[in-house]
Amino acid sequence: METSLIKEELLAQQLQNAFENIVTEAVRKDTVFAYASKEQVSSILLYAKEKLGYKSLAHMSCIDWLESDEFELVYIIWSPETKLNLFVKTRIDRQNPEMENMDMIWRQLNTYQREIREMFGVEFPGFVGEKEFILEDWEDAPPMRRDFDTLEYVNDTFFEREGREDKQDVRERIAKRSGEEIPDFAKKYSRE
Amino acid sequence: MSFFDLKGIVRPLIGLSQFGKNPHTKRLDVLGKDTADRYRGFHYNDLEACIGCGNCSTICMNGAIDMVELAAEFNISQAKGNSGLRPRVDYGRCCWCALCVDVCPTGSLNLTKEYNYVSPDPNTFLWTPGVDNPYGKDQLSFVSTKETSLMTFDRVPMRELDGTERVKSFAEVVLGYNEEEARAEASRCISCGLCTEVCPDHMHIPEYINAIARGNDQDALRIIYDNNPLPEMCGKVCTRRCEDVCAIAVRGEAVAIRWLKRYATEQAQTADLIQEIVNPEIKEANGYKVGIIGAGPSGLTAAYYLALRGFDVTVFEAKQFAGGMTMYGIPKYRLPMDSLNKQVSYLQKIGVKIKFNTRVGKEISFDEIYKNHDAVFIGIGFEKPWKLGIPGEDLENAIPAVEYLRMINDGESYDVGKKVVVIGGGNVAIDGARVAARHDADVTILYRRRVEDMPADWEEIEGAEDEHVHIHPQAIPIRIIADKSGKKVKAIEYLEAEMIAEEGGRPRPVPIEGSETIMEVDTVIGAIGQEADYSFLTEEYADKIEVNRGRIVTNAQQQTSDAKVFAGGDAVNKTADAISAIADGFRAVKSIEAFLMKK
Repeated sequence: METSLIKEELLAQQLQNAFENIVTEAVRKDTVFAYASKEQVSSILLYAKEKLGYKSLAHMSCIDWLESDEFELVYIIWSPETKLNLFVKTRIDRQNPEMENMDMIWRQLNTYQREIREMFGVEFPGFVGEKEFILEDWEDAPPMRRDFDTLEYVNDTFFEREGREDKQDVRERIAKRSGEEIPDFAKKYSRE
Repeated sequence: MSFFDLKGIVRPLIGLSQFGKNPHTKRLDVLGKDTADRYRGFHYNDLEACIGCGNCSTICMNGAIDMVELAAEFNISQAKGNSGLRPRVDYGRCCWCALCVDVCPTGSLNLTKEYNYVSPDPNTFLWTPGVDNPYGKDQLSFVSTKETSLMTFDRVPMRELDGTERVKSFAEVVLGYNEEEARAEASRCISCGLCTEVCPDHMHIPEYINAIARGNDQDALRIIYDNNPLPEMCGKVCTRRCEDVCAIAVRGEAVAIRWLKRYATEQAQTADLIQEIVNPEIKEANGYKVGIIGAGPSGLTAAYYLALRGFDVTVFEAKQFAGGMTMYGIPKYRLPMDSLNKQVSYLQKIGVKIKFNTRVGKEISFDEIYKNHDAVFIGIGFEKPWKLGIPGEDLENAIPAVEYLRMINDGESYDVGKKVVVIGGGNVAIDGARVAARHDADVTILYRRRVEDMPADWEEIEGAEDEHVHIHPQAIPIRIIADKSGKKVKAIEYLEAEMIAEEGGRPRPVPIEGSETIMEVDTVIGAIGQEADYSFLTEEYADKIEVNRGRIVTNAQQQTSDAKVFAGGDAVNKTADAISAIADGFRAVKSIEAFLMKK
């Protein structure tokens, strides 16, 4: 269904006019993306909240872009008047992940930031809150980072329930059924 | 308001007058709120659609999914391309991330709206989706669609020469993947290994594809050479039945296994490089001599692996070059001569001796080979074309396709004239047609059945159509008409056919009466099949080596009725393709070794 994005384009233009060096995009119905630098995010959020009526914080999340060595932080805010979602996105350095603390704009951000600090290891200087969120006595790498091997952790930490001993390996079974002999030097390329 | 308010006491009592009467209001049923549409509850697996690839089990970061064999009552298919295993989930571990659904290639595994299960015994948390909750199929919520799946269903397209460009020369049509394309294509593979079972030679497909995906082409080549000594040939022209059962092919395009093998082999451009990369271990000579008749795929395979195992191997080849049908039957635009010669010269470097221009039964007798060797392998293939069985096929300019292809591949010339008819629907027919098209002829293929019934590779059929070869299906030739001199072909007469459904079989073409059509042609090329030429077997051996319906009879280990003689290739198996021949050769190596070393 082809719908015109007039409201969305308007918001994108408003933000574009208010801030230099940001990229905005009316991506689909009710959704506008704004890509900004780390330093601009708080200004954009405040401006959107105070001047444009984006009063409600819907969500904040983090994406691990391992290959480009970056974290992407996404703030999703919503306006009860225009009923549009505004996604404010920024990328921060993965080696030294730090983001401005913004829980004074929305108190709820405190909880989101706590979670992101624990799960991704992003620091928010000046942020006051409990150290732990869900994890207890966690000393390993932040578990939502992509270089954290969840399966390895699971296998080291938990025992297997009774009754799982009859599991089989698909590759081995096929090889056995057809009489294929996989040479040892090739096995490192087999599926684990 | 007085101190004693009578109204205030009596009023509430008035309500009692309603006591015992039916209420005016009506109780509504309590409606539970429906679960959200994309809710991620327990799994449901369509046991029929699932092929047991185990991708769900591999992706699960909680180690919650096992692949298990189900009880016989569930009738799980054990066919090739289906592992016969089905996933079982430990709900003590599952976190409902649904990655298993996102990577399910067939889309059989989905999540349902059901999420309540209470039991005091945690060991009952092991569920086999689809078995323990058959009702789940009506409660699907988080489902796998082609749009949301994390699988890449589209193949990296192969670059080819344009149709109009191709017919001008015998340049190779398929250009091959470059490094970037190969890595991208290899990354689509989920390494389930279902393909290895349908490969007659059981090549280690997931392993070499994975090596390519990880950027290690040399390891890929080593893995490929583990049981296939002619991989570049297979990479170009294999019938690739592996791709038919590819897990990705259920909903998308199969991984281009053949093109990836081709990519890996093309990274070693010379025989020396192959030797340097593969660097096989050659065992010390064990003193046994093995004679091999025919340097086709089966003979060369047997020769290579026997040589590696320390046998003294001599191959007797009737023609000037090795490769058999892959050299003389396959046109050069599909398999260039250099490519094949490179692979053969690598085999020679390893110690395989090939005697060219030595036809057994002519330059050397079978008896001599039999007596001078400890074991003999026969891989003579199907050289002799079948006759069309219609009047006029002995005329000049009526030629069998294999003969025509042999002449062209041998560098001889043969003038097909302006208008050519090819009879048949297999790969040989298409090859003949496409070669004739490269000699500026207007080519028509006459085939008895429908286009979809053609045994030829669909890519070959499409390729022929791109080159403006006209395919006339449902046409049965009845006679070839000679010109005035009575020597040359002038025209061909054929009947149109209609397809009659046959019970229990494929539809049968039945000629339509009165539909005789005469087409003027310069050349008729017949390609309806070939057979072996056993004239080299003298009476003494013909008695010992059993031949049934044109094929040498062997046991499962390629041994013939004469214990010392082994056989393989087209003359033995019915699949009649190069990879089956290679598989025969490889099997024969093991049984020849067992036969000789046991003594």
